[in-house]
Amino acid sequence: MILTTIQFILISFAAMALGLLFIGIAKKTVARTQKRIGPPVYQPYIHVLKLFGKEAITHGFIFDFGAIMAFGGMIATLFFVPIAGIQLYSMSGTLLLVIYLMAIAYLGMAMATVGSGNPLASVGISRALTQMLGYEMPFIVVLLTLIYRSSNSSILGIVQAQQGGLLNWNLINVPIGTVVAFVALLGLMGKKPFDAPIAPSEIASGPVVEHGGKYLALLMLQHAVAIVVETALFVDLFLGGATNIFIFIFKMLIVWLLATLIGSIFPRFKVEQGVLFYWKWPLLAALFQAVIIIF
Amino acid sequence: MSLSQIIIIPIILSIITYLITKKFKKAGSIINIILSGYILYTLINFYGQWDILNQSLNINILGGNFEFILNNSPLAWLLAIMTASSIFLISIFTVHSQQEEKNTASFHMFFSILLGSILGVVFAGDLMTLFIFWEVMTYSSFFLISAGKKEGAKKASYRYLILSALGAYLMLTSIFIIYTQTNSLEFTQVAEYLGNLPTLNSIILIIMMGVPFLIKAGVFPFHVWVNGAHSNAPKEFSPFLSGLMLKIGTYGLMLLLYLVPLYNILGESIKFRGLPLFNYILAIFGGITIITGTIFAIRQEDVKRLVAFSSISQMGYIVMALAISTPLGFTGGLLHLMNHMIFKTTIFLTMAAVIYRTHTTKMYEMGGLIFRMPVTFAAYLTAIIALAGIPPTNGFISKWVIYQALIQKGYIFLSVAAFFGSIGSFMYVFKPLSTVFLGQLKPEHQNIKEVPFLMQIPMYIMMALMVLFGVLPGIQMNIINQIGESLNIETVQSTLYTITGAYGAWNSLVIFNVFIGGFVLALVIFLLAKKSKLVGLMDTYTAGEYMDDPESYHYAYKYYRPFDRVFDAFAANSLTKAYDIMAGNVVKLGRIFKGSFVTGNGQTYAFYMILLMIVLAFAGWIV
Repeated sequence: MILTTIQFILISFAAMALGLLFIGIAKKTVARTQKRIGPPVYQPYIHVLKLFGKEAITHGFIFDFGAIMAFGGMIATLFFVPIAGIQLYSMSGTLLLVIYLMAIAYLGMAMATVGSGNPLASVGISRALTQMLGYEMPFIVVLLTLIYRSSNSSILGIVQAQQGGLLNWNLINVPIGTVVAFVALLGLMGKKPFDAPIAPSEIASGPVVEHGGKYLALLMLQHAVAIVVETALFVDLFLGGATNIFIFIFKMLIVWLLATLIGSIFPRFKVEQGVLFYWKWPLLAALFQAVIIIF
Repeated sequence: MSLSQIIIIPIILSIITYLITKKFKKAGSIINIILSGYILYTLINFYGQWDILNQSLNINILGGNFEFILNNSPLAWLLAIMTASSIFLISIFTVHSQQEEKNTASFHMFFSILLGSILGVVFAGDLMTLFIFWEVMTYSSFFLISAGKKEGAKKASYRYLILSALGAYLMLTSIFIIYTQTNSLEFTQVAEYLGNLPTLNSIILIIMMGVPFLIKAGVFPFHVWVNGAHSNAPKEFSPFLSGLMLKIGTYGLMLLLYLVPLYNILGESIKFRGLPLFNYILAIFGGITIITGTIFAIRQEDVKRLVAFSSISQMGYIVMALAISTPLGFTGGLLHLMNHMIFKTTIFLTMAAVIYRTHTTKMYEMGGLIFRMPVTFAAYLTAIIALAGIPPTNGFISKWVIYQALIQKGYIFLSVAAFFGSIGSFMYVFKPLSTVFLGQLKPEHQNIKEVPFLMQIPMYIMMALMVLFGVLPGIQMNIINQIGESLNIETVQSTLYTITGAYGAWNSLVIFNVFIGGFVLALVIFLLAKKSKLVGLMDTYTAGEYMDDPESYHYAYKYYRPFDRVFDAFAANSLTKAYDIMAGNVVKLGRIFKGSFVTGNGQTYAFYMILLMIVLAFAGWIV
């Protein structure tokens, strides 16, 4: 019990650290593509520490509760995504669960931001939820295809089905699905061209407009863990996972860098454009892939 | 107490309830609380006494021998318990909320009749008993809907009545056809008869019997009555209408799908991925119901209308799961049936509480009620977490089982519909949360208080149930497995907190633990940091603009406008409109008929009669 608790806390903090590192790398990469020098890679750590030290304002208990729920929900999600074959809690049937557990975090964040009473935050949330309906549809079709293909709805099972070399990876066996899932991942991570929900120049960063101090720090940590969860999920599902933690993180980094680079060159979609885009090509491609595999 | 007594007593008592409530306003609620509480207690004692309590009554009318049968089966018992507990909780709620209403006496009278008639429907062991109580249920709910204060109430209840009448005629016709052939209307004999008929004939009969059930369940293409009826019904009746009345429709569908083993009848017909085409089409109707319900729910500005459309979409899940007819589909459908009753009743009750205080149903006329009505908010939040299917509440488990059923057979298009409804539900449940409870408080709502304690009791009970069934689904699985046994369906493996699906097992205890762990960690980090300063909701970042009017600083009207724009064309050509056009054409036809034959002259009519006699004489001569 105590051992599990210690492991729980250690893994959580490791994930936060890794996520913040990824954010730092992304900042540097984007700066380089724009011919800037960019901040040092450790800048996000400084941000978080600084923000925890500052005095913050709150807009009532829902503002506090939402931030805790957002961060706690994301931490809970982390433990159902196996990282390098390690999963603290053994349970089969985790793939669909992860999608819905992530929703707890988003619901918490949405409640906190709308609870601030700032209409800009509400606009951001309404956009985020709309876009969610866009990218989740193709993504889930791909997930269902994977579940059907490997007759297993646990992520660990899908990883194990891909063991034994590159040719067994879902990247090779489900190629269209992989591309679709990657495009959906861009929306999931709020990368351009799907960053209408945060759109700093239009709605003042939307959901986080009222957050400062420890609230912003919690949301940054939540974002960091979310990056780890999302990239790890992609590596597990399509890139065959890994038994070695360093190879696993390397694969995660490649996915993250690819997403960052694509995000740094595109302009922004309007919300409905983004949704319609997802329902047009990615969804059709995903259904095509599903029909090939199932029938 | 026997089965017939618990059905008859509420119906007889209703008249007394009416008379007493006329004098004392609160009496009706109290009588209904005691009555439904007592029936609930009796029903709990009935548990396990399957087929022991059966009753039958023989009546000879016009030479025909009718046997009225009442059966206590696990499925009937489950729906009876749901009905009685739902009425019990809503009656507690009505003690205060019906105070200001004009038709309190008739409300309680019809509510009591409804209780008896629904118990009659579910315990019925033959088609005739089912039909009689079905009609009593239809009419009493019709009067309850039409008692709504809003202008649309009359039109909505009228639409409900017309559709129900259509269903009733079809059902009655099929009953007559079956009775002339078999001389018995007992379910098992009807099933045997249908099994021996040629496939096409039995399908036609089954469709005729199924339409009234589909209408009650609000399944596409018969969902048109649901939104009007739910949004215009009295605020205390909407929870019952959505939480329970819709389920009675699915109860009928279950009779058709499982008691009359449709599978055997259609065994040789065309199949799609191992599913008879008829079932597949029913499942597709469920899918269409999910999608249309979701899209329309997102568009609504009236909160009751929004929840009504969400009911339509959730009923789609139940119908889809039941139509799949695998053990997992059956289990998922029944689980969702129970869970939907719990969370949808809660949502409508919280909305009734909000309407009780604010006297409006328009979402943009409210806002910021969280600090005024925290208990209502907590109940609503738990209910929407359950509705959106987020762990650790009961809603996720039923959806998880339904998804397992869908993936197991690889129904990819049905899954797309199911997931659309699920992700879309995040959108529509968040809209009332954001516009009614969060955001800026309207100046005229400054002095609103939380609802009285009696109205909070049902909310507390429902919240507890949602979390309880979310952590321990085994309680529900126990009764579902008994139902499965009684209907000869394989059961799904389960323990108190695990359910085994097709690919993988569900363990709610692990999820609950991890969730609590994550939450505690976040809470600790939050509490370790510096304490924050509380500021008002108007004290926000406005890009330099000076804001002093909370009313215009609340983002509520057309919350999802970008999304709605995509579906504007779709919504403009809704099915309701198509039905309206059809109705208009019928009226036109009637006018033409009237214009060409009605003259107002008695001699013309005499001429028609002579003409008719000549025609009849000819017909008789030919025959």
